[in-house]
Amino acid sequence: MKLATTRLAAAFVAAGALTAPAYAQQLTIGLKSEATSMDPQFHNLSTNTQVLLNVFEGLTKQDAVQRLEPSLATEWEAVDDTTWRFTLREGVKFHNGSDFTARDVIYTMCRVPLVENSPSSYTIYTGTMTDVAADGDHAVIITTDGPDPLLPTELASLPILSADALGAEDEVTYAQGGCEGMGEVPQSPAFNSPDVAVGTGPYTLDEFTRGNQLVMSRFEGYWGDAPNWERVVMRPISSDGPRVAALLSGDVDMIESPPIQDIPRIEQGGFKIVDALSNRIIYLAMDQEGEAPSLGGTNGENPLLDQKVRQAISLAINREAIAERIMGGFAVPAGELLPPPMFGTSDRDVDPYDPERAKELLAEAGYPDGFQITLGTPNDRYINDEQVAQAVAQMLARVGIQTTVDAMTASQFFSRRNAQEFPIYLAGWGAASGEMSSPLKSLLATYDKDAGMGVTNAGRYSNAEFDEILREAMTTIDDAERETLLQQAGTIALDEFGIIPLHYEQTVWAMKPELSYEPRVDQYTIASQVESSGEGSN
Amino acid sequence: MTDRSVASSLEPVITTKPLEVESPFRRIARAFVEDRLAVLGLVLFLVIALAAILAPWITPQNPYDLAQLDIMDGGLPPGETSFATGGTYWLGTDQQGRDMLSAIVYGLRISLLVASVSLGLAITIGVAAGVAAAYFGGRLDALIMRVVDLQLSFPAILIALILLALLGRGIDKVILALVIVQWAYYARTVRSSAIVERNKDYIEAARCLGFSHRRIMFRHLLPNCVPPLIVVATVQIAQAIALEATLSFLGVGVPITEPSLGLLIANGYDYLLSGRYWVSLYPGIALVVTIIAINLVGDRLRDVLNPRLQK
Repeated sequence: MKLATTRLAAAFVAAGALTAPAYAQQLTIGLKSEATSMDPQFHNLSTNTQVLLNVFEGLTKQDAVQRLEPSLATEWEAVDDTTWRFTLREGVKFHNGSDFTARDVIYTMCRVPLVENSPSSYTIYTGTMTDVAADGDHAVIITTDGPDPLLPTELASLPILSADALGAEDEVTYAQGGCEGMGEVPQSPAFNSPDVAVGTGPYTLDEFTRGNQLVMSRFEGYWGDAPNWERVVMRPISSDGPRVAALLSGDVDMIESPPIQDIPRIEQGGFKIVDALSNRIIYLAMDQEGEAPSLGGTNGENPLLDQKVRQAISLAINREAIAERIMGGFAVPAGELLPPPMFGTSDRDVDPYDPERAKELLAEAGYPDGFQITLGTPNDRYINDEQVAQAVAQMLARVGIQTTVDAMTASQFFSRRNAQEFPIYLAGWGAASGEMSSPLKSLLATYDKDAGMGVTNAGRYSNAEFDEILREAMTTIDDAERETLLQQAGTIALDEFGIIPLHYEQTVWAMKPELSYEPRVDQYTIASQVESSGEGSN
Repeated sequence: MTDRSVASSLEPVITTKPLEVESPFRRIARAFVEDRLAVLGLVLFLVIALAAILAPWITPQNPYDLAQLDIMDGGLPPGETSFATGGTYWLGTDQQGRDMLSAIVYGLRISLLVASVSLGLAITIGVAAGVAAAYFGGRLDALIMRVVDLQLSFPAILIALILLALLGRGIDKVILALVIVQWAYYARTVRSSAIVERNKDYIEAARCLGFSHRRIMFRHLLPNCVPPLIVVATVQIAQAIALEATLSFLGVGVPITEPSLGLLIANGYDYLLSGRYWVSLYPGIALVVTIIAINLVGDRLRDVLNPRLQK
């Protein structure tokens, strides 16, 4: 009897050993949203980038905490303020077998402005390039029209295309306003074909069926470590409930962004949860330009112009309670616009929760009985956004600021926000570059649409000193010097309560217990970085 | 023998016929109470209505006063004690720390307020339009009835959604949307019974006496159209409550800081998978019980008021 049991157990182990490798051949991922195109130069959007980074690679790349690493370029240096030299990796093959050379880099930069109907163009990265020239087959010199310290960081988001696969001539030369030797440039729909979507990445594109699935398979000639999976399938499942159900039922091996409230249930089912602090800050912005709409009890004045009132609002908010109760622990109270120790942060303390001091400040500002205000918020953009806004309203009510929450769908919210319809609003900002100039430039710089400054600064915070320091930072090549300037600028704005940080969102992934994934700050789900620990589930 | 039996069987019938005339209201009331289920419905409805009216005095918390909420009390299951006040949450709390019992009673208050105000306005408009259409006939009739037809050809929820998408959130806007959606039902009902009555002799007589149109329409014609109107109204008030709940559930109804039953259910919907059933369940039960109570009353009224169904 005992022998029989042992044999049976041995048979199970053997069966397990046989099926485990077969199982590990395919990885199926349930995504929250779908890529809009397979053309890596069509739409500058994180849902596209995370999928395409399996197939294509840039000259540089960012690791899980957005530190810059070599990719197709092995090293780079600033020759002078306006010139960068990139040394290219040798022995890299494209999926179609052709060699990777400087010609492919030049072709890639040349094609960016030629992409038609792009909803969010990559020209923001190439617009400053006055020249891109080969220095032999394996080096490229890029000249910009002014100092551009972020160029290596930005190139991580610009994947390199194959000049051969896209039909370029043997000689491609860069010129602003029209390159030569480009041949017939294929437009975005052509990239649905695996013959055109040719990169150097660890996986080759097999099939892309819009709304259904994206299939990729292992590229045997990959220059780096051999990819883990024979085949990767990515399925868009945009509704939260069905995405969780697909994981629980075993239809997919891994999902991104499970709803926070369902996490205990997913864990009970024996699945693994990984999470990481993201680069997305949730903040409150206040109208600081003359008369604000939707206010009451202030005799027509805008109380938000007074720094004491803004400080009172910040002190009235119990960020710990929001992170704990509303975000289920998947958020971290924020003291600045990016979580330390990311580039440009200054380890600033989170504003304390002090409702008594907030009341005093309101009284000092001349509003002992508070006032009425409307808080605008989207209700489907950020994690539990509407609930967070309600909690903020609740806390403001306790210090005497009667707050009405006006919640609406994201598209409606953004257009009303940009029309400055809210005296105070809740929104979020994810820094794609992973450093401080991104939120400072968009959220706090004085509004100037043509210069691309303060484009998301609907509260119209404005400080000349801040602008001056930020402008200097954006043209400083030296990293240490630039970081100090960014810290200074950030401190100026936060000292004046020009913006009120609430919390950093945490990004969550759920997967089968035998998988592992290093959670990424940029919230990307990259299939080639999913590992199988090789042990069976228990 | 045969003659006598016929005579004796006829005699009591003639003698026992009551002499006093029973008022129609008493007759209806007497017939109504014969159905126990309908009485139960009526009692339930009265209890709910009373609770809704007295909400500020009988609930432990004002769920619409943000300063009374504490998110540290958020998501507590039924029967838990509050950290802030030490009180007990008999039906638990939602994510914002709102006492579900108080929120449900206040939610009922909104539901009934919205339903009754919109009912009153819709009946007023619908009856005026319906009686006028039937009485004057001709072009006015055609015009009003084509508008009614046009409106009835679209689903009520669709029209209400479009209206609220244009108007924005708010109780007043929900009421406006419900009035616009519902007046057509009353207009249609009143017109059909008014057309029957219009050609009867007493209307002819009233005309001959030289009464004004308005007096004939509202003093003579309208009272005889009331029974079907009552039946439609009871069905429609339940519809109005359900429609308001649907609109709020879809997020276009009342403001989120002043949730009605539909919005409470929507808020709890996200937590169903994670086991916080009480946020959706109890408002759902309150909504179902209210609608069933009104429908029981409405069904019985229809039976009592419909001459064809009378024994």
